[in-house]
Amino acid sequence: MPTIDNERATRPAPADPTRRDSDDSGPTKPDVQRPDRSDLLKRMKRVDPDQARRYRQRSGE
Amino acid sequence: MALFGIETEYGIAVEGKGASDLVSESRALVNCYAGIFAKPWLYRNEDPRNDMRGFHVDRLNYDPDDAAFDDPHSKPLPTEVERADHVLINGARFYNDHGHPEYATPECATLRDLVAQDKAGERIALACARQRAAELGKQVSLFKNNTDFHGSSYGCHESYLTTRTRPFGELLFGLLPFFTTRVIYAGAGKLGVEPRGKRGTFQLSQRADFFTEEASVDTLHRRPIVNTRDEAHTDPRKWRRLHVICGDANMSEYATALKIGVTSLVVKLLETDWSPAIRLKDPVSAIKQISVDQSYKWNIERVDGKTIGAVDIQRIYLEAACERFAGFDADSEWTLREWNKTLDQLEQDPSKLIDRLDWAAKKDLLTEFVESEGLRWDDEQLQSIDLAYTDINPETSLFYALEDAGAMQRIVSEDDIVSAISRAPEGTRGAIRGALVRKFADAIGGVSWGGVVLRTETESWMADLGEYLDCDSVKVALGEIESAKDLTDLTLKFRTAS
Repeated sequence: MPTIDNERATRPAPADPTRRDSDDSGPTKPDVQRPDRSDLLKRMKRVDPDQARRYRQRSGE
Repeated sequence: MALFGIETEYGIAVEGKGASDLVSESRALVNCYAGIFAKPWLYRNEDPRNDMRGFHVDRLNYDPDDAAFDDPHSKPLPTEVERADHVLINGARFYNDHGHPEYATPECATLRDLVAQDKAGERIALACARQRAAELGKQVSLFKNNTDFHGSSYGCHESYLTTRTRPFGELLFGLLPFFTTRVIYAGAGKLGVEPRGKRGTFQLSQRADFFTEEASVDTLHRRPIVNTRDEAHTDPRKWRRLHVICGDANMSEYATALKIGVTSLVVKLLETDWSPAIRLKDPVSAIKQISVDQSYKWNIERVDGKTIGAVDIQRIYLEAACERFAGFDADSEWTLREWNKTLDQLEQDPSKLIDRLDWAAKKDLLTEFVESEGLRWDDEQLQSIDLAYTDINPETSLFYALEDAGAMQRIVSEDDIVSAISRAPEGTRGAIRGALVRKFADAIGGVSWGGVVLRTETESWMADLGEYLDCDSVKVALGEIESAKDLTDLTLKFRTAS
C-alpha cells in the first residue's frame, strides 16, 4: 500500500542541473539505460519530413 | 461498480486529399468495417446541449475557421449516412465524427478491459484504413493524437459513471485543480504551441493550447477544462456521466490505465463529502503554463496568491484516495501504487518515465533524433516525428517501434487485444449490447448507449439497458439472450423478467 509523506507535499522539487528554464535549446537528453534503438533511429530517418506540414484536419470535439 | 470508457477521434491522412475531403474519407473508411454490426444510432435519445448546471443552451459553439472547409453548395446527407454508425459485437461504437473515424469503447469495469478495448479500437480502425487504402490504391494513415499542428484539435474523451448525490458546483470545484494538473502524467506530448506559437517548444499536453474556459457544455469551440454536458445514458435521477474532454489520446497502455484509474478514483472520491483544500487562481492559464514549463517544477498560482506545484496538488488527491480506497479492489491498489510512484519520479527525475508516459517517451525520441541529425528544436521535420509517434500502423509507427523494442511497459497482451475485438467486457451492459448485435443484428432497428430497438415481424420493442449496471443482472440478461430460440422468444423472456 502506498504511503504519503506529508513533509514531501510542501518540499520543493529537487534541483536538476540538466534542466533549463528557457525553451530555446529544447529538452535535454535523459541519462537512463535503454534497449538497443538503432532500428528505431533508422525508422525515424524514414519518416517523411514534410508529413506534419501537409497534415490538416477538421476541427473535432 | 466503477464504469468508464474512452472515445477516440483519430486523425486521418489520405494521399492526395485535403481537409475538405476528410468528412467523406472518414465515412468511407468506417464503411470498410467488414464484421457484423448494427445500425442506426438513435440520436434522438441524446441531448448534448443539456448542461449539468441546470440549464439548456440554444446552440453549441462551432469553430468558424473549420467551417471554411465545408462546400457551401453540397447538399447535407441524412445523419445516418453521414455518421455511418456501426455498433459492434464487442459493444463498441465506430463511426464518422465530422471527418474523424471515432471508436468509442463499450462500458468497462476494469482497467485491463479498458486498455484492451482501447487498443482493439486501434486494430479495428487500422484494418479499415488498410481496406480503404487497397480500394483507393493510395496511402491512408490514422493517427491517435489531438492536433494537426495548425490549430485544429479533436478529442479523446473519457466517460465515468457517477452518482448524482452531490451538487454539480461542488464537483466542479473538486475537479478543476485535478484536471489542470493531470497533464503531468496523462499528457501525450507535443512539439510546438498553437495557434501560431513557437515551433521548438516541447510541451506535455496535446490539448492544453485549446482550452479557453473553466467549464462549459461546448466541445467544438471555446473548449472547457470541465465539460458540463449532462447526458447520463442511464437513469438521470440517480446517475451522472462525467464527460471528460480535457485529456490527450494516449498510445501508452500504462498512461491510459493510469489516467483512467486515477480519474475514476477521484470521481469516486468526489462522491463522498470530501473536497480538496485548494483553489487555483486561473486554471485555464495554469494548464497551459504547466504544459510548457521547461523547468518541470510546474508551479502555479493559487487563489490566495501563493504558488503550489502540480505534483503537490496531485498528492492532495492521492492522500485522500489512499485513506478511503486502499485495499478496495485490485484496480484501486494498482492505481494508488502507480500514481504514487509516478509522482515520486516526476518530482525526482521525469526521464525515468520514458517507458510509461507518452510525453516522456516522445521527448526522448525527439532528443535522440535532434542529436543524431544535428537539428535545431524548431526544425519543421520534428513535428513529423511527433506525428509518426502516434501513427497506429505498427509498420510505420514510432510508438510501436518502441513497444516492439521492449521499451514500453504493457498492461495487456496481444491475445487480450485480439479477444477484445470480438468480445465485450464481462459483466457490463456493453456485453448485452454486443450479444444482441451478434445474435440479432438484422432485427435491430436502432441502438443508443441506453437501449437497443429490436423488431420482430409484428412489433418493435426497446431492450432498455439503462439499469444493467451490475454484474449479476447482466449475467441473467446474457443467459436469456444466449438461450433464446429466436427474437420472439427473447422478447417474451425479457417481458416475463420485468
